[in-house]
Amino acid sequence: MSGTHPLHRVAIVGVAATEMARQIDTSSAEVSLRAALAALDDAGLGVADVDGVAARWPGPGGTVFQPGSADWAGVFGQPLRWVCDTYPQGVPGALDAAAAVAAGLCETALVFGGQAGVMGGSAVADYTRPDNEFIACWGSLTAAQFALVAQVYRHRHAPDPEQLAAIAAAIRNAGSANPAAVMAGRGPYTATDVLASPMVAEPFRLLDLCLATEGAAAMVITTTERARDLPQPPVAILGGGAEWHRQQYVNPPRYDEVWSLGADAARRAFDLAGLRPHDVDVFELYDINTYEVVRQFEMLGLCAEGEGAEYLWEAGIGTDGRHPLNTDGGLLSYSHIGWGGPTLKIVEAVRQLRGTAGPGQVPNAEVALVTGAGSGAQYHNVMVLGGG
Amino acid sequence: MGGRTDELEDRSLRPLTGEFWAAVNRAELVRPVCNDCGQSFFVPQFACPYCQSTNWDYQPSSGRGRVYSHTTVHRPPTPAFTAPYVMADVDVEEGWHLLTWIVDCEPDQVAIDMPVSVKFVTGPDGHRLPAFAPDGAAR
Repeated sequence: MSGTHPLHRVAIVGVAATEMARQIDTSSAEVSLRAALAALDDAGLGVADVDGVAARWPGPGGTVFQPGSADWAGVFGQPLRWVCDTYPQGVPGALDAAAAVAAGLCETALVFGGQAGVMGGSAVADYTRPDNEFIACWGSLTAAQFALVAQVYRHRHAPDPEQLAAIAAAIRNAGSANPAAVMAGRGPYTATDVLASPMVAEPFRLLDLCLATEGAAAMVITTTERARDLPQPPVAILGGGAEWHRQQYVNPPRYDEVWSLGADAARRAFDLAGLRPHDVDVFELYDINTYEVVRQFEMLGLCAEGEGAEYLWEAGIGTDGRHPLNTDGGLLSYSHIGWGGPTLKIVEAVRQLRGTAGPGQVPNAEVALVTGAGSGAQYHNVMVLGGG
Repeated sequence: MGGRTDELEDRSLRPLTGEFWAAVNRAELVRPVCNDCGQSFFVPQFACPYCQSTNWDYQPSSGRGRVYSHTTVHRPPTPAFTAPYVMADVDVEEGWHLLTWIVDCEPDQVAIDMPVSVKFVTGPDGHRLPAFAPDGAAR
């Protein structure tokens, strides 16, 4: 709204996602590089234009954090002015890069990451088995951590199982229609299918839960001034915010502390944007599981606590509904590439605002909401994007 | 996180948490208590989350609490665990909470607010663990 906030002087000018699959026969660093180069190509830029990098990065400027850690200055063959590896993906990565560009620490920042060659064909990804000594001994997994939150919600609010299952079915059907989705062509799914799928950790059944797949995603952020000379319509970061409640997967997440996680971040993001949640045309929400989708509508204040499933049932969440969401099939059906997953949400939001999203395109989408992580992870972040 | 090793690690040698595990080895439950503000907290960390004092010690817990939340896991993360089992977040009466199992009852009998007491069990790696059982459960 106001052109004076520093974040409003930067734009997302390029995005890319690689192929997505259960397993990709390369390294995390190489698949990340592919995404990075594709995002630069999308932006009409080259490696020589990059002076800021947010990615997994060893040594000076960062710490070794697998998968996908590499000396990116060495890979790009040039020194950089700004690097970030604390959370180089998704909303926090975009906001950090935008802040760096806005502050003049660099002019063009590349945010990228993903994973490949790490899944080993097992049904449960290693990163969903936190190895903390107070967690691992109990046979915990990410789904069970989120389940501890969802169980209290279910106990207090008794949501309708069919209305919940319909959310998972709708997102999975969006994935069925997306040729790039890992689950492309699968389905169609009904609420009955979701309710008939095997129980993983009560109340979550298999079809309530996200994928664990491989691939990478990237975005390019630069000044609005620079963006004028570039081929893509720039996408504006209208507002954003983050909340870090606790280190994830150590202490069990508690419903009373985390069900509204993100509400403060959302308030700040929408204030900065001069908008309200009702103004959002398309939602790209972090859909670790079905309950998290419901949670985020309640957290945003679009409905009261306990009423999310019924609210979405009535509002509609397809491209023709009042709240189109996870138009690429989301983490449930498109792809969830570990530390690259949060960036996929931004890639799809940018394509929606450009009008190039494919079968999931929402007509005339002008405002998009992107979120990351969730209650069980004990951190949440929110970004409001607008068409150029 | 590796699989089961032939020789059990001596958990009492772990930095910061060794005393907790040493007590568990003796079938005793302890928790960090701040010597400055008197609050209990968990997991053990170098400073008290209530007053940031680093002056705290492990003290015995009554081992009595209530189920804050619970989930029955049907698909274990590794083959070492046998499903179904009930993971729970238990509020212990001194004002701290921990991830644990509820044992000695059917999974569908576990309920939020159910009173429980510590019951030491042997985990799949052979180590003793502080699980909880419903009060009045058959021994």
